[in-house]
Amino acid sequence: MDYVDGTFTYESATVACADFPKTEEPVYILGKVYSALHDREELRHDFVSRLWLTYRRNFPAVGGTGPTGDTGWGCMLRCGQMMLAQALLVHHCGRDWRWAEDGRREDMYWKILSMFQDKKSAYYSIQQIASMGVSEGKAVGQWFGPNTVAQVLKKLAVYDDWSNLVIHVAMDNTVIENDIRGLCQEGRESESCDIMGCQNEKGAEGGPRHFDKNHKLKGKPGCWKPLLLVIPLRLGLTDINSVYIESLKRCFTFKQSVGIIGGRPNHAHWFVGSLGDKLIFLDPHTTQAATDLDDPSSSDQSYHCQYPSLMKVTELDPSIAVGFYCRNEEDFTDFCIQARKHITDAKKTPMFEMFQDRPSHYPPYEPYTGLTPSTTGFTEVRAQNDSDEEFELVG
Amino acid sequence: MPESVSKTFKQRKSFAVRKDEVAGIRSKFPTKVPVIVEKYHKENQLPLLDKTKFLVPQELTMSQFATIIRNRMSLNSNQAFYLIVNNKSISSMSMTLAEVYRDDKDEDGFLYMTYASQEMFG
Repeated sequence: MDYVDGTFTYESATVACADFPKTEEPVYILGKVYSALHDREELRHDFVSRLWLTYRRNFPAVGGTGPTGDTGWGCMLRCGQMMLAQALLVHHCGRDWRWAEDGRREDMYWKILSMFQDKKSAYYSIQQIASMGVSEGKAVGQWFGPNTVAQVLKKLAVYDDWSNLVIHVAMDNTVIENDIRGLCQEGRESESCDIMGCQNEKGAEGGPRHFDKNHKLKGKPGCWKPLLLVIPLRLGLTDINSVYIESLKRCFTFKQSVGIIGGRPNHAHWFVGSLGDKLIFLDPHTTQAATDLDDPSSSDQSYHCQYPSLMKVTELDPSIAVGFYCRNEEDFTDFCIQARKHITDAKKTPMFEMFQDRPSHYPPYEPYTGLTPSTTGFTEVRAQNDSDEEFELVG
Repeated sequence: MPESVSKTFKQRKSFAVRKDEVAGIRSKFPTKVPVIVEKYHKENQLPLLDKTKFLVPQELTMSQFATIIRNRMSLNSNQAFYLIVNNKSISSMSMTLAEVYRDDKDEDGFLYMTYASQEMFG
């Protein structure tokens, strides 16, 4: 097969593995389990079907006059793109969709891919992400953390009416269930909600929706915006604390998993799965020439990587963000049950926390709508000033 | 940078002095937990906290305590902020300070926390 070999140009010390090691241990990839011995072809095909976003050169300058390549600064932006692309791929095409490898331009797939091409007009392009980073205090070309890219993508997703995806970034390692329910149900009675209900009905894995006719006047109960939940974490100071490793690997077994963005110190990776004590990832540290996907002769070969990279989970930098895509309300409820069962209740030191309701000491929740971006800055003004009354400061 | 600034609380005071300090404050405020909160030395996104030593009501949860520290630094709610206990783990946010203190207090009697945002990648 005619693959683009992406491994030999790696800048980092990544020891790229040409293939999955032959082992009895199960391989978990984004919620699917494979045997590296018996399901090799299926495993490879699943892996190569993921969208691989790398450094590119010679793209239209960011902001018109900025950099025309992202080598050396764009790796976390690329990883954020990969995780979001996975959520959109599952949303529009389903988790079982596979890349055709023959250059065929399947509508849905090509539309998703085009949203990530290196052009200002693409919703989730490097240009859009780098420019929006300014609102997060990052100048164009500055390095991002996992939370930075999640915050930026949350803002950009507001403009993508086709996907209608909401991105929720759970801060303080705390997932507040009812904040998310409110967010996904927002605008339930609006017209756009009806459109979404239809999309959900047609969703590749959503199955038919059953609307309760008694509730029709109050808005359709089935209207629920698809969700990308991102949980930025810091699982240690310099090294990942080993108490979190089991939970971390467990995330890849969730059917809602869209992987983890993180990396080795300074080098970001998109982690898609685990195999024993190793993590499987896609590495953006290969500079490829920018491709114009609107050109009918263009190819998507450079957006797929045949070779899985592996590293020991103990080498992981502790700053990460875990991602989950929930298609609908049932899917989110299932996620909450699984997260409680396997992550929060199972451990004395859970990697994140699940709260039913927003704690009263938190500032009010303000979902990002894109319409009033300035209001978010005001939350700190309303912050409680109880700290001085309840506390006695010593020294 | 003057040496006194870059040194940690533990480096500035001897074990005996720290132990005495805890004994004194615990006898005066038996229901409060003495906590040392310091910035991670490699942290460059978050501001420096104006205080290091905190006396915290023992029934306060980690989540409440984190909010108080966030507010003291006037952090935007979307800014990454983590309180790491004993330089190794983020404590369960629903645990009370009394519980964290019971499990993780130092030999000198203080509970040590380090705050940090996230690392950046290029």
